[in-house]
Amino acid sequence: MIIRVLDPTTEKAAPLGQPAPRLDTLKGKTVGFISNGKEGTKGFFKHLEKMLKDDYGVANVVMRTKSNYSAPADPHIAAEIKNWDAVVSGLGD
Amino acid sequence: MQLASKAYDLNDHAAIQELYHSSGWTDGLPIVPPTPEAVEACLEWTMMPPDQLIGIEPVRGLAITAEKLAINAVMAGCLPMHFPVVVTAWTAMMQDEFLMHGATASTGGCAVLVVLNGPIRLELGASGTFNALGNSDRATAVIGRAVRLCLINLMDVRPGVIDRSTLGHPGKFSYCLAEDEEDSSWLSLSEQRGLEKAASAVTVMAAGAPRQIMNEWTTKPEEILETFAAEMRANLRHYSIHPGNYALIIPKQLREHLQAAGWTKTDVARFIHERARIHRREWADVGKGAVVRDRGDSVYAAMESPDQLLVIAAGGPAGGFGAIIPPWLGNKSHAVTMAIGACVDCEPPKK
Repeated sequence: MIIRVLDPTTEKAAPLGQPAPRLDTLKGKTVGFISNGKEGTKGFFKHLEKMLKDDYGVANVVMRTKSNYSAPADPHIAAEIKNWDAVVSGLGD
Repeated sequence: MQLASKAYDLNDHAAIQELYHSSGWTDGLPIVPPTPEAVEACLEWTMMPPDQLIGIEPVRGLAITAEKLAINAVMAGCLPMHFPVVVTAWTAMMQDEFLMHGATASTGGCAVLVVLNGPIRLELGASGTFNALGNSDRATAVIGRAVRLCLINLMDVRPGVIDRSTLGHPGKFSYCLAEDEEDSSWLSLSEQRGLEKAASAVTVMAAGAPRQIMNEWTTKPEEILETFAAEMRANLRHYSIHPGNYALIIPKQLREHLQAAGWTKTDVARFIHERARIHRREWADVGKGAVVRDRGDSVYAAMESPDQLLVIAAGGPAGGFGAIIPPWLGNKSHAVTMAIGACVDCEPPKK
């Protein structure tokens, strides 16, 4: 006996969240950090900024912290992204 | 009825179970095969076409349709009569104030507590008495499980994917209870939150695991409630000082002492609001001295106001027990109460 059953998943990729085009180089670029603001982010992003500048030649790092670490980035932060060449959205539990 | 989901034709039940487990579509327990007939029966019961949009998940923009909810409800063991509750619970969860993505992704590991009120409890045989927070009855078991399977399959809330819980808790299999309205003189939870008594309703709350208390050595309301408040203070010390929706589960034995003394749910909430608060310096007593800083005298209440307390009459008839259910993380998520069958985006009636 054949039993027909149905796929329980959405079967569609989320319409949002497509990755941006990759950069050829980080040299001279502006990178934005969007932190969730948790305790572990301080040391992590500080070290990452140093790495990006010292090792990859990043020109500027812009640090922003979400007002609610469990919710998407605030609209004013999201609006700033267009001014950056790359963004790192980071968690710091 | 034209269903849109991909279909699989399999030879036997064992093959179905293995397909669903190996695809990551289950909670680890066996599922009921979601056949087109069973799914259509759920949709017919609610008079919903398969593509009816229940909502758009607010963070990633995922469309949640009635057909997909029904497939997962069938898998959880729901009968068609259970399906309206699942639809309403999910509609409530997708309200902005519930913050569904955060609540289901968080390392904090909460579950979605679903509370049933109104006539539908009796129609479904949902019991609010013995073992109310456990495996009390079929209806609450399958409804709570359906909510979780929908999260897993419709939002990728799988452990290690969207679900980043450090620990989670057993309520993530199923966390649904019915209020014992028949054996209580109190207003029901949904009435307290503004709905008519005749309306069947669902309340959802992003909730930690229950913390059980016991006090069978007094009949005084203040002493009984002090034990509940102490457990909330413990949560403020050991877990989080963020204020928000707490639930209080008060079974019959303790409830009758409160009701005999004339205490309403509002009275209970006012008392708890006054007593469930700590000084920040108390964190130093439990190993968290590093975050007391210079704010030791600051006072933190468990709730911003008494109406944030969800007082629920439920539990077996004997035993001086009760429970508090803490919020996931204070006001980041708010409990949502919604009538079953209500239209959430209709125009209000014109006067």
